[in-house]
Amino acid sequence: MARVVGSRLGVGLALSVVAVVIVALLSSSTRLAVALGLGVAVLGVGATLVSLPAVRRDHPVVTRALISVVVVDLAVVLTFRVSATSNSNVAIGAAMAIVLLGLSFLTGSSGQISLGNGAFMGVGAFTVGIWADHHATTPLVVVLVLATVAGALVGLVLGLPATRLRGPYLAGMTLAFAVAFGAILNVFSSWTGGDSGLQLPSAVVAPHWLASYFGPGASTLTTSSAWLADISIVVTGVALFLMANLFASRTGRAMRLVRDNDVAAELVGVSLPRARVVAFTVSAAYAALGGALWTLVNNAVSPSTYGFVLSITILSLVVIGGIGTIPGAIIGGIIYAFSAGAISWLTAHLGLNPQGNVASQLDGIIFGGLLVLTIVFAPMGIAGLVRHGWRRWRRG
Amino acid sequence: MDSFLTSRNVSDLLGGVTSGVIYALVALSLVLIWRSTRMLNFAQGAMAVFATYIGFAILAPSTNYWVSMAVAILAGLVLGGVTERVLVRPLYGKPEINPIVAMVGLLLVLESIAAAIWSTSSRALATPFSIVDWQLNHKPVALSPFALYEIITSLVVMAIVAGLFQYTKLGLQLRAAALAPEVSRLLGVRVGRMLTVGWMLSTAVGAVTAVLVASNFFTGLTPSGMDGVFAFGFIAAAIGGLDSPVGAMVSGLALGVVFQFVGDYVNSNAIILVALAMLIVSLMVRPNGIFTRSAQRRV
Repeated sequence: MARVVGSRLGVGLALSVVAVVIVALLSSSTRLAVALGLGVAVLGVGATLVSLPAVRRDHPVVTRALISVVVVDLAVVLTFRVSATSNSNVAIGAAMAIVLLGLSFLTGSSGQISLGNGAFMGVGAFTVGIWADHHATTPLVVVLVLATVAGALVGLVLGLPATRLRGPYLAGMTLAFAVAFGAILNVFSSWTGGDSGLQLPSAVVAPHWLASYFGPGASTLTTSSAWLADISIVVTGVALFLMANLFASRTGRAMRLVRDNDVAAELVGVSLPRARVVAFTVSAAYAALGGALWTLVNNAVSPSTYGFVLSITILSLVVIGGIGTIPGAIIGGIIYAFSAGAISWLTAHLGLNPQGNVASQLDGIIFGGLLVLTIVFAPMGIAGLVRHGWRRWRRG
Repeated sequence: MDSFLTSRNVSDLLGGVTSGVIYALVALSLVLIWRSTRMLNFAQGAMAVFATYIGFAILAPSTNYWVSMAVAILAGLVLGGVTERVLVRPLYGKPEINPIVAMVGLLLVLESIAAAIWSTSSRALATPFSIVDWQLNHKPVALSPFALYEIITSLVVMAIVAGLFQYTKLGLQLRAAALAPEVSRLLGVRVGRMLTVGWMLSTAVGAVTAVLVASNFFTGLTPSGMDGVFAFGFIAAAIGGLDSPVGAMVSGLALGVVFQFVGDYVNSNAIILVALAMLIVSLMVRPNGIFTRSAQRRV
């Protein structure tokens, strides 16, 4: 049995890798390559899905790695075919998915909620801005890690009271942080540039070795939007893989017990303060990583981006997608990637003046309304609805 | 004596009290809802602003200030009652993050609708009293007729709420419904109705607050104008204890004074850092607030 499972897994993995390679080598021109790559990747997904129940039991980590690779693979293939605007939206959405993963973990594992993750994104975004200002030649990976660590540190400080707090108090505290973030940036205006923010000295370009591997004609790497979208997607894949493992780990299980019954958790030896602070810190670190990617994509960072409204938007996305779950976070990221386009389409369709009051507030009204409706009628969001429907369908 | 009244410290104290009463009102409004329904109303500021827009933007600009104020309070009562009946009621007994999320959603919807109808640009409200500070020997005292009116109005609102709770049958029923809903239901208190009344009362207090804020603070009336005030009001309520109306009001007043001194002696950007630090320290030392007797959470 184990051998059969292993070989199926091997086939799935191999097909996915083949897909990546084919697309990578031929993508510069032909549409056929993309179609081929997509097909093979879908096959890979299929092979993986077929062997899932058994593989999940025997090799959970490999399964998660495989799923992450396939998701990344499909998304990267997508970026080769769409326009620059769409690519920038994809990059923004992928980074947002990382933020949502962090918030989903906080809620799914400890039952707490943060209204300040927009400000934690700002911490990461400004870390990249400040660092790039001083050391433009640092490798991308190092910059991203730095931003993540900065977010984790700020999260740790703000999370300390979380050891003794219950839901509403923590939510209120993070709200105060989100509202205060602009003023805090102003306190350190010599670093953060005050109200005007920071501009990166030069656009992020693909590393030379990677660009040369794809050959001089590789249009996907020379146009920065596609390249940045791919970077965002790959980073999202890594974040997704780590988060899936964290959810399933001993720490993750202990945290879910804290969420469901904190007294029972304490009785079996889980340290409540530690579990809560860890959850909060991880969510802040993920938010900072997402914010760091935003700075790279936008080539600049402005304090007005990271206001209170962003924190509410993050909450809306994660609740609509399905709070406390990994698929919910991914769905939320996809919604965000397409929301700007959808709202401008709606504005045009309703015949609204694009510069008018109503059009500029449409996203707030829609997101807020969906947020209220979701929490009242379908508290587990789209992911919960899909899971529910799937179970009913299987029972027949 | 004259120079004492215009001295730096007295000016800070007066300015601090003027903004402190506002934080105290917001804190009181939050405590009213927390005590009865165990929810933190994150839409408090947005609901208050919305009621203020109804009072001051729908009516003609020439409308008498007091009529507008009355309409705003009435709108607050209605908005609070409707919100409790329609949005909050289905959420009783759900996990504690559900009402938080719902209230944040309401906040976003109300602020966006207000901005869609009345635009995000600031609107100056007509004030019944001058906002220019009184002069003493050609030096300003940090108190204007409007600030005095603001302080007195706040104290009157607090006194009305306190009197209502302490001396009326309705107040007794409100307290009973909050403390022991099951027992009070058996004794004939309409608990559901009491919760609605609590929300109406809280939102009406919020409407008065927002009217005062929009007329005196430099920002005027804007859809998101209460966000910052709400944050300070929440900090006051959390430090004083969400269970203690007196604690919330005292700490609101005290915070106003502290912030004024910090703003004057350090700088205005430092205020929010000091506020956050105070909140974090106080929550770590006394998670239930300074004025609340510590109670064990029951399993």
